[in-house]
Amino acid sequence: MKLRRIASLALILALAPFHAAGTETVERLHLLIPAGPGGGLDTTARAIGEALRAAGVRSPVSYENMTGGGGGRAMAHFIETADRQTNTLLINSTPLIIRSLQGLFPHDHRDVVPIAGLVGEYGAFVVRNDSPLESWPSLITALEANTGALNIGGGSVRGSLDHIVLALAMEASGLDPRRVRYLPYDAGGKAMLALLGGEIEVLSTGIGEAVGYARSGDVRILAVTAPDRLAQLPEVPTLTELGAPLVFANWRGLFAAPGTSAAAAADFQSEVAAALATEAWRTAVDRFGWTPLALEGAAFGDYLDKQADVLESTLKALGFIR
Amino acid sequence: MLEGIATGFATAFTLANLGWVLFGCLAGTLIGMLPGLGPITAIALMIPVSYSLDPAGGLIMMAGVYYGAVFGGSTSAILINAPGVASTVATSFDGYPMARDGQGGRALAIAAYASFAGGTLGAVALMLFAGYLAGLALAFQSPEYTLLLLLALSSVVVLASPGTRLPSLVTLLIGLMLGTVGTDQLAGIPRFTFGRLDLADGLNFVLVVMATFALAEAFRMVLQDDAPASPSVSGSQLRLPLDTSRRLLPVVGRSSVIGFLTGVLPGAGATLASFFAYDVEKRMGDGSREAGVAAPEAANNAASTGSFVPLLTLGIPGSGTTAVLLGVMLSYGLQPGPRLLSDQPEIFWGVIVSMYLGNLILLALNLPLIPLLARLLNLPAPLLIPLIIGFSLVGVYLTTLNGFDLYLMLGLALLALVLRWFAFPLAPLLLGFILSGLLEENARRTLFIAEGGWSVLLERPAFVILGILILLVWLFPVWQRLRAAPRH
Repeated sequence: MKLRRIASLALILALAPFHAAGTETVERLHLLIPAGPGGGLDTTARAIGEALRAAGVRSPVSYENMTGGGGGRAMAHFIETADRQTNTLLINSTPLIIRSLQGLFPHDHRDVVPIAGLVGEYGAFVVRNDSPLESWPSLITALEANTGALNIGGGSVRGSLDHIVLALAMEASGLDPRRVRYLPYDAGGKAMLALLGGEIEVLSTGIGEAVGYARSGDVRILAVTAPDRLAQLPEVPTLTELGAPLVFANWRGLFAAPGTSAAAAADFQSEVAAALATEAWRTAVDRFGWTPLALEGAAFGDYLDKQADVLESTLKALGFIR
Repeated sequence: MLEGIATGFATAFTLANLGWVLFGCLAGTLIGMLPGLGPITAIALMIPVSYSLDPAGGLIMMAGVYYGAVFGGSTSAILINAPGVASTVATSFDGYPMARDGQGGRALAIAAYASFAGGTLGAVALMLFAGYLAGLALAFQSPEYTLLLLLALSSVVVLASPGTRLPSLVTLLIGLMLGTVGTDQLAGIPRFTFGRLDLADGLNFVLVVMATFALAEAFRMVLQDDAPASPSVSGSQLRLPLDTSRRLLPVVGRSSVIGFLTGVLPGAGATLASFFAYDVEKRMGDGSREAGVAAPEAANNAASTGSFVPLLTLGIPGSGTTAVLLGVMLSYGLQPGPRLLSDQPEIFWGVIVSMYLGNLILLALNLPLIPLLARLLNLPAPLLIPLIIGFSLVGVYLTTLNGFDLYLMLGLALLALVLRWFAFPLAPLLLGFILSGLLEENARRTLFIAEGGWSVLLERPAFVILGILILLVWLFPVWQRLRAAPRH
């Protein structure tokens, strides 16, 4: 029956990638991605996987997108099945820390073994090109006169990344972050649309979302949360040089399963180090405009602990956690 | 512009790129036909293939996958009442009854022709107006979205036949409530999740549609011992009689315009478009089932094309599918946005020309497939029903890979069965569910901006116009009654 043949062909076609994800041999690597295909986390995972292959340290590399529970399902799965995950790395990012601080899922970054911080994305504060706000100081002056005068938007819910970076910047500038009007959008693109369309006056977002629009002259970036001026945006001042000492990056990094031995973790680290030196990885970093973070093992773990402390006090100050 | 079009044709009409668009259409149709696997999954599955192609070839193939998957979704909507994508839900309203009456081949053919026309008209409009329409996407902000969504929800209740208005309202509200399960879109607080991670992202659309439409229908067939009639489908159903085509032509035209304009708005473009087009034809057109299939199909394809306007001109994805496409473009080092047209005209025009090509190839590919597909309905009920149940469960499991969802699905299917038993229509439930999150998010932002006053809102012309339209829709039943009164 032809129909059945078509149906089974289609089924095989659809099942193929999932099947590939299920089997494991010694030298292969499996990357678990707690987000859907196409986003920043997914792109980073596929780039590092490709670099690991190019470096000749892992092959083949398979990928699994496991969405659900704001990343909590992938985390829970990784931890529950840790003994079967010796060839698996989990990729994650700053929202991991934020969500576990908020108690949205029971695990946090200390439950998995940090391998490497790969890239970081700094925050940017953006206005329309024709905005009367000429600079970061003029934004602060306007807010000092009336904290509720401006609608400031971001691409994530209240109490998550874009809002926290905004709150940190307000605090560093001597303003009360709780009195700032923050309007959440469900994606960075929609928030950018709201800025261009005039629904919000200021946008708090990642640099990657803003850099294209700044180049085309639609928006101006008032300040970034990087420690030094960025090569791709040399004319944009950092908050630190504007007298608001704040350095904050949304990191993306790799973790091994809990119970991974020190020797196995060291192997993973040296493999990732080899991958970061490949041409394939450098091309990807350029292509997507990422800032390399290059933090290994323990250094990455310390970085995460410090960030968790900062985030915890901010979330408390904002009243999102007690 | 002519120069650009020529560049586009030169790019698209290389042998390799023609091959890729054909391959994309075929793969997209096959994947899209499986209930639960829509364009987003289809495009995501093809990403590895696209990495091996040059940017133009990769994007041309992806456009083929996109159209193929949208059409494939209509196939399962018509044949087994299992719309795999929100934008084909409206197609199943009249498409599935046609299939049950042995008109499955006809319905599929109408869907294929209407999709082709809608997609092609959309591509022409995209080419001519893309630059001007970016402004429309910008003019629509939270207040306008709120009213547009209210208009859609109001019209689905009010325009229902008088006797079913109250039941429609009830199921609409159930749908809106189902949509609030999961993490609050603005405050990030979990609601109605009972502490379960499985519910933290809310109910999956595919799950709800498969449960309330496909599974509930399969259960009903078992209970009422009422499988579809199974006359053999011949090639003759594929040829539309001249008078039918003439009747459907204006339907397709109107629906394409509605579809394209709605599709330009980032958000629920294609879904809203198909419902609007269906409503317009049902109330103002001749109300035939053929028109009921043609309208949403033309509209959702035109809207799919329209959703490229914000992507190509502003760099902002208007739908989940275009968001994945944006990822593909970024991976090629392309930055969609105002500068794409000036920096890389061959990409911009190549994609647009491949849309014509995709639509044409899709039609050529699918017409011969239709008799085969329609024969599905010839299967005896003891085979067909388990097949539908199996496909729905597998489709949902493939989307979420979570066993909990299967129980959830069975529970919802039972709820739907009870509702149907008492003659409550399920379409409003689904529409309410799809639009619930968007409505809430935009309404809350609107209230935030308005700060408790009307003055800010009343200064927005689009807001006022939409407000008046909603009032007219609400007054429609009163007018109907007044007009009917003297006769009694």
